[in-house]
Amino acid sequence: MALRFHWSLSSAGDHRRGQRARAVQSGVPDLSQHLAFCRQAEASGMDSLLTAFGFHRADPIALAAALGVLTERITFMVAVRSGVCTPTLLVQQINTLSVLTRGRVSLNIVAGHSPHEQRYYGDFLSHDERYERTDEFLTICRRFWDADGPVTFSGRHYSVEDGRVNTPFVSDARSAPEIFVGGNSAQAEALALKHADCLWRLPDAPERLEQAVAPIVDSGTEVGLLVSLIARSTTGEAVDAACALVESLAATSRTTQRDFVARSDSVAFTGTYARAATGKDAWLGPCLWNGAVPYLGAPSIALVGSAEDVASTILGYQRMGVSQFLFMGWPDIEEMSFFNEAVLPLVRAREGLGH
Amino acid sequence: MLRFHWRLPQGGERPNASRAHQASLPETGLPDLDVQVPFARAAEACGIDSLLLDFGWSKPDPILLAAALGLATTSMRFIIAHRSGLMCPTTFVQQLNTLSTLIGDRFSLNIVAGHSPEEQRGYGDFLAHDERYARTDEYLAVCRALWSDPRDVTFQGRYYEVEHARVNTPFRSAARVFPEIYMAGNSPPARTLSVTRGSCWMRLADTPGRVAADAQPVIAGGRDVGLRFSIVGRPTRAEAVDAAHALAESAGERFDDRGGESRFLARSDSVSIRAVDALANEEWLTPWLWTGVVRTHGAAAIALVGDPDGLASAILEYARAGVTQFIISGWPKLDEMLFFSEHVLPRVRAREAAGEARPAQSLMVAGERC
Repeated sequence: MALRFHWSLSSAGDHRRGQRARAVQSGVPDLSQHLAFCRQAEASGMDSLLTAFGFHRADPIALAAALGVLTERITFMVAVRSGVCTPTLLVQQINTLSVLTRGRVSLNIVAGHSPHEQRYYGDFLSHDERYERTDEFLTICRRFWDADGPVTFSGRHYSVEDGRVNTPFVSDARSAPEIFVGGNSAQAEALALKHADCLWRLPDAPERLEQAVAPIVDSGTEVGLLVSLIARSTTGEAVDAACALVESLAATSRTTQRDFVARSDSVAFTGTYARAATGKDAWLGPCLWNGAVPYLGAPSIALVGSAEDVASTILGYQRMGVSQFLFMGWPDIEEMSFFNEAVLPLVRAREGLGH
Repeated sequence: MLRFHWRLPQGGERPNASRAHQASLPETGLPDLDVQVPFARAAEACGIDSLLLDFGWSKPDPILLAAALGLATTSMRFIIAHRSGLMCPTTFVQQLNTLSTLIGDRFSLNIVAGHSPEEQRGYGDFLAHDERYARTDEYLAVCRALWSDPRDVTFQGRYYEVEHARVNTPFRSAARVFPEIYMAGNSPPARTLSVTRGSCWMRLADTPGRVAADAQPVIAGGRDVGLRFSIVGRPTRAEAVDAAHALAESAGERFDDRGGESRFLARSDSVSIRAVDALANEEWLTPWLWTGVVRTHGAAAIALVGDPDGLASAILEYARAGVTQFIISGWPKLDEMLFFSEHVLPRVRAREAAGEARPAQSLMVAGERC
């Protein structure tokens, strides 16, 4: 199966937003910037674009609807937090979106990463309880997508009786959206094994990652990596670009990230940050660099190198069982163009050759 | 100035299908932009203020439909129906504020508390009628607080609790702080909520006298009163009555589903739907107000039937009863909207300009509307 590549729409048009505190980031989507990014993604062999969820962002479902009716091919991976909407209504919205975009929608299920932000949305559950609720949430959603008749479910967090949604999930290829689950915790893994097509993880040192990936892939669920990219013509240029990125970041962004992590209960975010914040070697592998994490947070853990370096690293991950990648870059649109022109052809030429 | 809204046609809409039958059609669940976008553009040209986008299990999600229709039009507005209780208020505000950044403030809300316990349970809602209104009150309290100050809202109620809630996406509007809120329902809690949390009380049609009496406390509370009905307009009253009777005869003819509405009604806990059904014991409530298809096409099918002058008179009578907004439907919706725009609306506007829409003095004083 060919590797699949996705990109995050989170910072399109504003690649410096990550260094500011979330409370002061703009929640107003720049539709023309987003559209330009969508078109670039369509031209760059991207499968889908992630529309993320958070109080500091536009609503990902409404945004995907707008971008979806204005584009032709790109799929939108819509982030969904359980607990902020009933499963029946979520299915109705996602199915409506599928009709409007002719099936160009998938879901990125997240359980939330910060208790204080969850309380903005009326959610007072702990980390593990949120996963338990998400399990029920997805169980109900699945039944709507699989069922011929009304859906009835009685659980600890949700009850639904004879639920019906007349709007179907419409797609040429599928009867339900592809489901991604994000997270590095054992709960996220268990949730993905039960409900998801693919688990998004943050990368880790190769030996640790390999151990984590194997059992999931063996159980029939794909594993994808959420990772940033700094690829340039040569290794030296890429390393220089990575160093220049850190130098360009405001010192205050370190405090911003420290404060964010202090209030987060996400295993993926806090674990990745903790390793990066020790200030020890920022290179977890030949290409894997966490030097920006203390400034931009866990998702800025990056593959840094020449096109050849990055392609080889991606193929190395493929040998471990990783089959999908969700990228970010600074700025995203330039990084995506370079990836498409220089990295992707190398990957495509070699991925089928049993390299 | 009186404001006229129209209901958006549903996917696969058939004028002679009963409400229950229409709801059961697979096409009803599908946004049909090939029909709905031209309809929205026609409505722009017809002087229609907004299009009502329904909410229900049988229909597509109205917020996303508004996004799609809004991007395909330039000035048309949308009244988005929304049931409280199915989404956390913070998410709802975030989604609507996002919509305002995409299509501007070209939408308002029609807040409904649900009309069928059975359907509510399908959405995971097991509350009784009055509790649903109590929850709606809290829901709108949180929404209104977030629209007043999107940076820090704490609320602790029986149904909702949020702590230091904030939403970075603002409601984008040069004219308003929050979207106009139509509260639907004939019951006392609905009417009260329209005053405490809403902008307009939206009810189903009844005789002008009863509408005037019910409207008094809402007008006194400084809010608009809106009326929902359908319309059968023809060049002469005789033609209109014939068309109405033909519609009644064709209803269910092809679908043999005359029992669908009564089965729905038996399970509904909506005060307004029951009230209109009771009115349907009489076919004509006034020379213009007709209930002939209420029991097949549903409560919103209570209709004004007549020629342009008669329809204009009927509308102005409601205006004098205190009604300032109208949500209208027809069979088919497009033909009726075009007839209304060409023949009825100019007459209403002319007589409105001549002062014929002015409410009775007692209403004006009560509502301090002068």
